[in-house]
Amino acid sequence: MAKNTFSSEFRNIDVDQYNEDNYKDDDGEPQSPPIGVDEATIVSLMNAGNHADALKLLLANAPVASKGKNEQAKDMALNLVLKVLLSVNKSQMDQIISSLDKTQLDVLMKYIYRGFERPSEGSSAILLIWHEKVYNAGGVGCIVRVLTDRKRV
Amino acid sequence: MSATLRPYLNAVRHTLSAAMCLHNFNSQVVERHNKPEVEVRSSKELLMTAVVVSRNEKEKVLIEPSINSIRISISIKQADDIERILCHKFMRFMMMRAENFIILRRKPVQGYDISFLITNFHTEQMFKHKLVDFVIHFMEEIDKEISEMKLAVNARARECAMEYLKRF
Repeated sequence: MAKNTFSSEFRNIDVDQYNEDNYKDDDGEPQSPPIGVDEATIVSLMNAGNHADALKLLLANAPVASKGKNEQAKDMALNLVLKVLLSVNKSQMDQIISSLDKTQLDVLMKYIYRGFERPSEGSSAILLIWHEKVYNAGGVGCIVRVLTDRKRV
Repeated sequence: MSATLRPYLNAVRHTLSAAMCLHNFNSQVVERHNKPEVEVRSSKELLMTAVVVSRNEKEKVLIEPSINSIRISISIKQADDIERILCHKFMRFMMMRAENFIILRRKPVQGYDISFLITNFHTEQMFKHKLVDFVIHFMEEIDKEISEMKLAVNARARECAMEYLKRF
């Protein structure tokens, strides 16, 4: 008996990881990350004053993936979205929001919450106004979908 | 500055109402155990996206929901040293009496000043909208109380100094 249990390494193995029922977050996503929108298009749209289109373009091509995947693309997209969001003034916000559909509202809400994570000079105040307006349009469900969706933006 | 207070509290209120949907859920790891999953963090599928609502760089609220519990961590505005000390002592006072608060956590989450832990048992016994009201009310009152304490400290210090210097 002493021979085959000489090493107690087996005690250090986490047996649970081999369990078939384990939850796997990604479920195989070979989805090629959309290159996203390049900065030049966005900047040109913004300079033309066309914030609504810039935002729609960004929301349509948002790199959503589960936590830990594609972080670089996500960060770049986040910077662009924040740039657009912070440059829109209040009167245009209602117009833009009413032109978005349900899925786009959800993605926008995800970006708003990510924007809260890195507050800068005065950004949170504008994001709070965005949050209020998107909530009025999307309702509690919009926030619930942000919390429960495994695909983070 | 106070123009952001109402929107900030509204945003926190909406987020809390959305996140506070809690079910009873027995532990998947240990049989016959029932643990708040947001504290244990053993299974990824039971945890939801943690979300931050910030008013500015100093004040923010971190909300971490899960299937049977939600953790709310608040970072309070502390403008100078006196406020920092007062805040720290005040929070410590309350956290030592966390039993009586029921939903208070004895230690704040790293990076924040005070934390609440609300489980499905709490939402079963207490009204959800009242719990949310309580947290929002707490956030409003803390700032006022700390300012009042700061004024009291300064007033007392002035009185003491005056009395002492009358001798000279």
